[in-house]
Parts: sequence; structure tokens; C-alpha cells
Amino acid sequence: MNCLQVEEYFSAHYEDTLDYQTLKRFESHIDECASCDQEYSLFCESIQASQELPQIEPSPAFNSILQQRLADEEREKPSLWQRVQSSFVLPRWAYGLAFLLVLASSASFLYFDDLFNGNTQSEINGEFISTQSPDSLTQYPSEINHRFLPRSFGGAGSSFTTSSRPMQQNYVLKHVSYTTSSTAGGL
Amino acid sequence: MPELDDELMQRFQKGDESAFNLLVRRHQKPLINFIARYTGDKDNAEDLAQETFIRMFRAANRYKPGRAQFKTWMYFIAKNLCKNEIRNRGRRERYHVNNVVSNDNAIDGNAEEIDLIVSAPADAAFQPEVALERKELRNTIQKAISELPDQYRLPLVLRDIQGLSYDEIGNILELRSGTTKSRINRARLMLKDKLKSYMEQI
Repeated sequence: MNCLQVEEYFSAHYEDTLDYQTLKRFESHIDECASCDQEYSLFCESIQASQELPQIEPSPAFNSILQQRLADEEREKPSLWQRVQSSFVLPRWAYGLAFLLVLASSASFLYFDDLFNGNTQSEINGEFISTQSPDSLTQYPSEINHRFLPRSFGGAGSSFTTSSRPMQQNYVLKHVSYTTSSTAGGL
Repeated sequence: MPELDDELMQRFQKGDESAFNLLVRRHQKPLINFIARYTGDKDNAEDLAQETFIRMFRAANRYKPGRAQFKTWMYFIAKNLCKNEIRNRGRRERYHVNNVVSNDNAIDGNAEEIDLIVSAPADAAFQPEVALERKELRNTIQKAISELPDQYRLPLVLRDIQGLSYDEIGNILELRSGTTKSRINRARLMLKDKLKSYMEQI
């Protein structure tokens, strides 16, 4: 054991927690090395000196001040109703975010509303309704492989199939508003 | 047989406020001592100790007996408050500690902010020069402790002044057992080096 290693064991030796083998090596080094012996003595003295620092007594007013502060805490403790109210208090950024969401959803609603009104083809109660003229409607060519169409458009397995005959021509030009009231929630 | 801290906390959690007062009375002195030795400021120590108890009072419902010792929890809160205080004080006045624990001021009796060195108890063999020597020694020790880096000062104060176990210190500082031991050893070696010149004069 060299001087640096011995230093690592100062605390363990002071607290008497060294195992027997290490204790033997430690003490044999201390016996031989005057410098380490002196350092260890100073080490022990400094610990003892710090342990003997006087205890500080709390001031007489400590408890009374603390009791007053604790009583204030108790008084300021929010009631159940205040806690419920405070649980709904949102930070300012949350209000901003909510406003932006409302704005975005309104804008998207207006955009899609225009889109649907400008080019609509849907089936309501089995009736095709379109705002486009019948001539401009695109018909599926007969050679389309229906397997690649979704079921609702007559894909494989669908009961609805397109045929080579023209699609039903009873298109009605009428304004469709996709609101719950006009479609009775059907959309 | 006095009630255990955990039992008192359970009583307090059930609404018995006198149990919390008992805990305060039991721990106020060691807590104030810890804060004063760690921060080097007795006056502020009482404020920080009160703040610690108030935070415990507020968070009492979250305390789970058995999961952590009351004492460990208390020192953990106090440690964080002290660190904040030291950080803020450092911003306010970088060299505050050095100025406050100035040897000259202490010997002249002019140190107002820190008075950690209480007078030696009066006895029949009281000698002013011995008392002065003791006072100087204690002042030098406090100054040396205050000069230790934070990561070494804290475990040293908890171990050698507060007398906590290594496990308790490890829990408070969130350190492994081996790290705690090596930090305490290192802190003691640093303290020894700081006190070396003074001790050799005696």
C-alpha cells in the first residue's frame, strides 16, 4: 500500500470499518511512513474539531413565527370549490391554441363546403344528385377492372356494379348543403 | 417511548396538527444547524428552516411513510432550498461568504451576519486567551467548511456535523454508497489541507 492508497482509507480507518487485511496493510504503512502518520493525525484532528463546533440554538421567536406562518398557510388553503375552479384555469397559451383551432376548423369547413358545393356527386336515398350537367359526367369505361375499385364503387365483391350502359341520368340540379339539418345527419 | 417520525406524520395526515408541531420541535435544532453550517449564515438559517417546514406542511399528503424517512425528506428539501439560496446569494454578492467569515471581523467581534461561534461556556478556569483561541479555531473551521466546493461541503456537513449515516446521506444527495463514501473522504482530506497551517501553529 502506497501513500496515495493509504489516503483513500483514512475515513474507513477513522470510522473503524476496514476489513482485517486492509487494516493490517494500512497500519503497517502508517508505522513506516512518518508523513502519512502526520497527515492521518491532522485528518483525525480536523474531523474532531468540526464535530465539536457548537450547536446553534433556535431563537425564541422561531416557533411562534413558524406557527404564524403555518396558520396563514392553513387559512390560505383553497376550499374544494376553489380547487375545482382552479382545475379549469388554463394557461394563456391554451386559450390562444383553442382560438387557433377554432379558426382552423372554421376555415377548413368553409373550404370543404365550397368544394362539395362546386362538385358533388353522392347518393341520397338511392337518388343521384349532381350539380354538374349530365354530359360532363365521367362514366366508367367498361374495360375498368372492377377488382381495383373500392367496394362502394363496385369493386370485386360489391353488389353495385357498373356496366357499359350509361349511368342513371336522373341528375337533379339542386343545391346541396351539407349541414346536419339539410341532410338529416345522413352524411 | 417517543413516537416515531413516521407515526407522527401519519397522525398529521389524518388531521392532527399537533403531530406536526411535535416533528418541528424535534427537528428544528438539527435542521437550523445544518442550514447554518452549510450556508454559513445563521440568520438566514432560521428563515430557510421555516421554509423547509412550510414546504413539508404543504406536501404532507404526498409523504409516504416507509418509502423515505422523514429526516431524509426534510434534509432533501432543506438542501435544495440552501442550494437556491447560495446560488442567489452568489448572484447578489459573489464573495459574500469570504467577507462574512473574515477572521479579522470575527476576532474583533464585528461579524454581524454570521455568529456561528458561540462563546465558550463560563467556568471557573475561564481564561480569555483560551476562549479567544477556541473562537478563532471554530471560526477557521467554519471558514474552511464554507470554502469547500458544494459537492464536498454538503456530505461533510451531513456526516460530521449532523451525524447522519452514509445511507441517509446517499438518499439525500441521491448518490450511490461508494460515491458518498469517497466524497466524504475527499471532503475531509480537503478540510484537513485547509486547516493544516492553522493546526500546525497550535
